[in-house]
Amino acid sequence: MLTENHTQDLREVMVQTFIEEAEQDRNLVVLVSDSTSTAKIKPFMERFPDKLVNVGIAEQSLVGTAAGMALGGFVAVTANAAPFLVHRANEQVKNDVCYTNANVKLVGLNAGVCYGALASTHHAIDDVSIMRGFGNIQIFAPSDPVEAKQIFQYALDYEGPVYIRMDSAPFPVLHDPDYRFEPGKVDILRQGRDISIIAMGSTVHEAHAAAFMLEEQGIDAEVVNASSIRPVEHEGILASLRKTGLALTVEEHSMHGGVGSLVAEIIAEAGLGCRLKRLGFVEGKFAVPGPRGAMRAHIGIDAQGIVTAAREMLSRTP
Amino acid sequence: MNNPFGFSPEEVVENTVEIRKKILTTNHNAGQGHTGADLSETDILASLYLRLLRFSKDDPQHPDRDRFILSKGHGVGGLYCTLAQAGLLDSNLLDTYLQFNTKLPGHPVRQKTPFVEVNTGALGHGLALGVGLALAAKKSGNGYLTYVLTGDGELQEGSNWEAAMTAAHYQLDNLIWIVDRNGLQLADCTETIMSLEPLDDKLAAFGMSVHTTNGNDPAEFIATVESLPKDDGKPKAIIAQTTKGKGVSFIEGQPSWHHRIPKGDELPQALEELAC
Repeated sequence: MLTENHTQDLREVMVQTFIEEAEQDRNLVVLVSDSTSTAKIKPFMERFPDKLVNVGIAEQSLVGTAAGMALGGFVAVTANAAPFLVHRANEQVKNDVCYTNANVKLVGLNAGVCYGALASTHHAIDDVSIMRGFGNIQIFAPSDPVEAKQIFQYALDYEGPVYIRMDSAPFPVLHDPDYRFEPGKVDILRQGRDISIIAMGSTVHEAHAAAFMLEEQGIDAEVVNASSIRPVEHEGILASLRKTGLALTVEEHSMHGGVGSLVAEIIAEAGLGCRLKRLGFVEGKFAVPGPRGAMRAHIGIDAQGIVTAAREMLSRTP
Repeated sequence: MNNPFGFSPEEVVENTVEIRKKILTTNHNAGQGHTGADLSETDILASLYLRLLRFSKDDPQHPDRDRFILSKGHGVGGLYCTLAQAGLLDSNLLDTYLQFNTKLPGHPVRQKTPFVEVNTGALGHGLALGVGLALAAKKSGNGYLTYVLTGDGELQEGSNWEAAMTAAHYQLDNLIWIVDRNGLQLADCTETIMSLEPLDDKLAAFGMSVHTTNGNDPAEFIATVESLPKDDGKPKAIIAQTTKGKGVSFIEGQPSWHHRIPKGDELPQALEELAC
């Protein structure tokens, strides 16, 4: 349940997980590109200075070196801002990590529009789309501290490339302590009958809040946390949509190639008769820069925008 | 761990003749290939696999093996023919070069071919990968050496210089970066397209221990590698001066032979030149 007074930065969860894993002799190395503060990696760096490699402001070197270290036997993790990872080092991600199948975990920090008014050079609203374009890489977007910890533990165990989309905001816990993350499994956060709101990462919290607002208006919304983008079990999405008949996707990402596209593909390939509305950044346009909250409201991926879109979809449903 | 062959420079030279014949024949049969690049690097590859690299013939993935990265991945034909000459690859496979679902694709693919460490082909990737391998060796206390062979035109990619900075910063004296300095790239001479000189000064300024040698003379190349300073805290850069298309008069120094193949009478002519 949403507990606003207990929030945690998912990066702190990540760093704590790295410390615990290194303490258990995990053959781990974390690479940064002058991004020690971005990654909040200082506690790990102080505890394990030899397991931290800083390549300077050089993202191609970051990813290539990480792939080389993985081939040399390490579980190599990169941690830097998502835009500079997926855009600057795109070919290194494709060839050195994915095609080579190196055991590298790419952490895209402050993804989406976390950098708000710093504008589009610092936004990554196409990172999931880009990563989905590559073969051979698993893609996750944790929504809360409980899930983030388990996703990092899973990623370090898994032998192969992984991309983890991270947010900079502190998040409350959405999951019960006995929640067990499973790659591919669709996580139904809230059961509902009228509409399926399928959200990714930070927008899961908006979807969750929207469901409570809709409940007050007599609408019973199901909230689906799409934290596992690849792999993804289609049947989990389809089961929800067969029940509600309406799909509303929400992401702080371009409508192209993210969770909206994923759900559209799943619906179409299954031949399911189901209406779909995608909320996200408009395809083919850069984000209008500004404070992050205003940006989210502008494209309707905040709780109020989700409520409005859900009501509009339901009003058009006989 | 030692090199499983330990050939003398003279024995290496004898093998380079056979490797070059394989390159010409294989590219001719395949109907494609980077003949100029393959012939340019032949003496370097032969020296590495038949003399310098320490590895196990029976266990290509042995953790203590020296690593070799062909950053100029388009020279993969030269690598396949060297491996075949060394008996590390079934020579019959050369007939499948570039065919559908072959074990010998047009750029190195480690999932397909034994002794290939990493998937290269896009230029400017190998050095950073080599930095990672060398850094991993340092951090895990493993004594393997990492060799990276780049082209020279490839050095126009900025990623090489990022990697060079990192190599020097982390004092990777277990990294040996060989530049196949044949002076040609796809379209023309490197110095016409985007000049690299003074290359030795640039490499030295980036913190490398720089050594210039004849990359088409196995004896000189081997002597250079075997006399590299050890434990000096500096990555090694070897400028291996080569001739693109080395060994066949009408291929040598011709930019058009970057990805041309011998056709018609050119194959017997080339093979005859090599036999002399």
